[in-house]
Amino acid sequence: MSADYGSPTVEHEAAAGDDEAGYRSYEVYQRERVGSPPPVKPGQLRTQDYLDDPYTLLASLRNYGPSFRDWQGNAFWITHYNDVTSVLVDSANFATRSKRWFYGLATFGRDLRNNVPFLTAQAAGIDKHAPVVAREIVEAFAKRGTADLATEFAAVFPLQLLGRTWGIPDADLPVFAERYLRMQRGFRWNTANQEAGKQAMLQLVSYFTPLLAARRADPQDDVLSALATLEIDGPAIDAHDVVATLLEGDHETLHGALANMWFLLLTHPEQLNMVNNTRRLVKYAYLETLRHSTPVLSGERFAKREVERFGLLIPEGALVICSAAGANRDETIFADADQFIVGRKDLVQREPRGQYRADGLPAGITPALGTPSKFPALPVGRPRSLYAITRDVATIASHALLDATSNLKLAPGAQPVLKSRGYGELHTCWHLPVTFAAK
Amino acid sequence: MSLAEDLRKKVAAAYEVDADTASTQTFDFPLMPLGTAYDMGHDANGVPLFDPRIFDSREFQRNPYPYYRILRDHYPVYHDKLHNCYFVTRYNDIAECYFDGLGYNTIPKGSSNHVLGNTQLELSGIEHSRRRNLYGRHLVGAALTKRIGAICKLANEMIDEWFNPESGMTEYDPATGKYTMELGKAFANEFPIRVVCQVLGFPDEARDKFYYWYKYMMGGIGGRDYEQKGLMARQDLEDFVESIVEERRLKPNFLLDDEGNEVAPDIISELCKTIVDGDVLSTEEITSNIALIVGGGGETTRGAILNMWYLLLQHPDQMEAVLNNDPLWDAAFHETLRHSSSIGGQPRQNTFDVELQGVKVPAGSLMHMVDFSANHDERIFADPEKFDIFRNDLYSEKILRSGYKKDGRTNHMAFGVGPHLCPGAWISHQEGSIGSSIMSKRIKNVRIATERMAKDIDGVSLAPIGLGAINELWLEFEAM
Repeated sequence: MSADYGSPTVEHEAAAGDDEAGYRSYEVYQRERVGSPPPVKPGQLRTQDYLDDPYTLLASLRNYGPSFRDWQGNAFWITHYNDVTSVLVDSANFATRSKRWFYGLATFGRDLRNNVPFLTAQAAGIDKHAPVVAREIVEAFAKRGTADLATEFAAVFPLQLLGRTWGIPDADLPVFAERYLRMQRGFRWNTANQEAGKQAMLQLVSYFTPLLAARRADPQDDVLSALATLEIDGPAIDAHDVVATLLEGDHETLHGALANMWFLLLTHPEQLNMVNNTRRLVKYAYLETLRHSTPVLSGERFAKREVERFGLLIPEGALVICSAAGANRDETIFADADQFIVGRKDLVQREPRGQYRADGLPAGITPALGTPSKFPALPVGRPRSLYAITRDVATIASHALLDATSNLKLAPGAQPVLKSRGYGELHTCWHLPVTFAAK
Repeated sequence: MSLAEDLRKKVAAAYEVDADTASTQTFDFPLMPLGTAYDMGHDANGVPLFDPRIFDSREFQRNPYPYYRILRDHYPVYHDKLHNCYFVTRYNDIAECYFDGLGYNTIPKGSSNHVLGNTQLELSGIEHSRRRNLYGRHLVGAALTKRIGAICKLANEMIDEWFNPESGMTEYDPATGKYTMELGKAFANEFPIRVVCQVLGFPDEARDKFYYWYKYMMGGIGGRDYEQKGLMARQDLEDFVESIVEERRLKPNFLLDDEGNEVAPDIISELCKTIVDGDVLSTEEITSNIALIVGGGGETTRGAILNMWYLLLQHPDQMEAVLNNDPLWDAAFHETLRHSSSIGGQPRQNTFDVELQGVKVPAGSLMHMVDFSANHDERIFADPEKFDIFRNDLYSEKILRSGYKKDGRTNHMAFGVGPHLCPGAWISHQEGSIGSSIMSKRIKNVRIATERMAKDIDGVSLAPIGLGAINELWLEFEAM
């Protein structure tokens, strides 16, 4: 019998040995590591190498240890799945800073995204418009037999859906989109983009001022009307609040997720074939895309207080970069993590809860989309989570594409790649030319 | 045009999708004429924009001051989102922060202690001053004055070697009677090391390793590329110091004058008998203090000596004046540190949420106090880019922890001010001005051997000092 329990004596001795070593401070731990230089140079995580292929660098970081201190960027990088998820859900110790804070406009308007009337109107609007918009967009190129799915499909769909849901007239949409994109692209480090973004915010305020008044006088069935008639403490809702709410939200991730999903399916034709034959797999292709090639590579968190974790003493105010891309390829969590496998058995197929898991299975991390909701999957008096809504919308759009085309494949000679346009920006496929036969 | 087509174009324009070659990360700033900033664009009100990628560029290394001027004039507290930090660039703001030891307490935690060990660098308040005074008091005032004779002797010994053909320090041309040498190799690299070795009480064989220790330990601070090498250097220093400490605990060592009288005990012996909280310092604690002295005592003074000669020789009238009036070496030393110091500034972390110059900075942010910029702040120093040892707005007398700002004269920021004022400031001043003064009495007709020097982008004029110190200074001279 005792053989079944292994050899307890040996284990006991090992434990005693560990105990004798006692607690090792960070400094001692660092000095004991002399001889194993970090695999990544500071600054290398902000070069074009990283933007083109983050996964090679992140794999070496993951193998190096739980954390990497990037001195030049003044940040701590976390790349292990369980560490990343533990920080992302730990709002007691780690705070997010708003896009307005990065703009230096922390007091610009109010972010109204957590108000139930807003959420309800948004969910209802998306449910209502998504199939229509998807059909419209696909029909625009369906007869042609060729298309660029990145620019004509993935990039346009979220914008047009946003316009319809919010109640922006189609005629205004291109002008709105131009300002909106400038605003969304401007909050990061790039000063020229930031200046353009600030201008865009002011232009959007002057655009929304009359529109908001009109909706207040004559409410319609859209998000803008829900905001116009929203009653909250403090001064009445004005256009600054509308712009702040728009800014803090995000359409980009859906754009990136759709483009990456179709990039992966088209470069894995056997899986595309499988998905086409068994349509319920579309959803799993989307979930696997969020894991394999997340469009948002990392989430940024700032330590609210001094915390000792990951072998580090993280001081108050420190920036912790939670690398979703690194965590999603963690081999200790996902088998063959670098492979794109639609319907993989070790990926959760429901909405994750708690520490990014459900049914005991891990989920792909995409910081802007996948933050698990604290509410039940079917909450009473609230719409379902944005995670679920986005998933369903991506599925609806992809269904529309599959319905309108047959024999969908990459255009001859096309060699699409995933790329970021700048540090901290979307990692996605910017050109995805395809050919197909119209149905 | 259909709506979808219209939107597609807006997206393509917003993300510059069609500009496939455009790489935002590898953008290289062109090298500009000295004193002129590259145009980084303007906002709607005509205020110049500032691109944080400039900090990583070669252009900034050689021509930093026009960029710091933009920051001082338009962004006195600049939030750099690419490097996740703030730059404070005006003299008065920096001085205020340096004096506020509680609000802007220390350099970032963990940035030095893995290499240097537990020193006062990351401490503040009473913890800081207690540790600093352990050795700092042996580097100032009467304790320092006692050592000046020995410092002069060291300088003369080194200069003797220049005229010894076997030393290989100089090249002698009998036809012209001229000597050529690289000042760094022949003097500036080694002189501060010898002084520090003597002050610490290191045996002579430590000199050979000293350069290795300070180069790699200082390179390893802040975890830059040399981090691992820094840890190895620190280990090497610890192995070396251990036996010396054990020895000195039993038998203190003294600096002796020419007659063999005891002048002063060395710092290791002082530290061995120091009692803190009723207990002697451990070897580990002593090593950490030594590591800090070794790290701070080499590169900085070397840079000051090289920069001073480089600048003076490019301003022959000022050189002439100094040669004729020995006390002017003090002014030359301080003006050099104001104009081109070896250390760019000190990082701080703010303890509380603060608002400085209208910018709200959350607690725990990394705030760089840019001494380079403070020293070139036209609010304090008129015509700051000009090297002028006769300038009447620079205070160049006894270095004061409280700083100096009176009758239109202000101290430079190269040593900082306040509780974290460089503890080696006084001895470094002695090394720089005494060393140079002695040098100037042994050689004459000095000129820069221009043909061997690094050139600026035009290939003709001498390279600017830029940030930090020059690497080499080739001199041609005759024996006095």
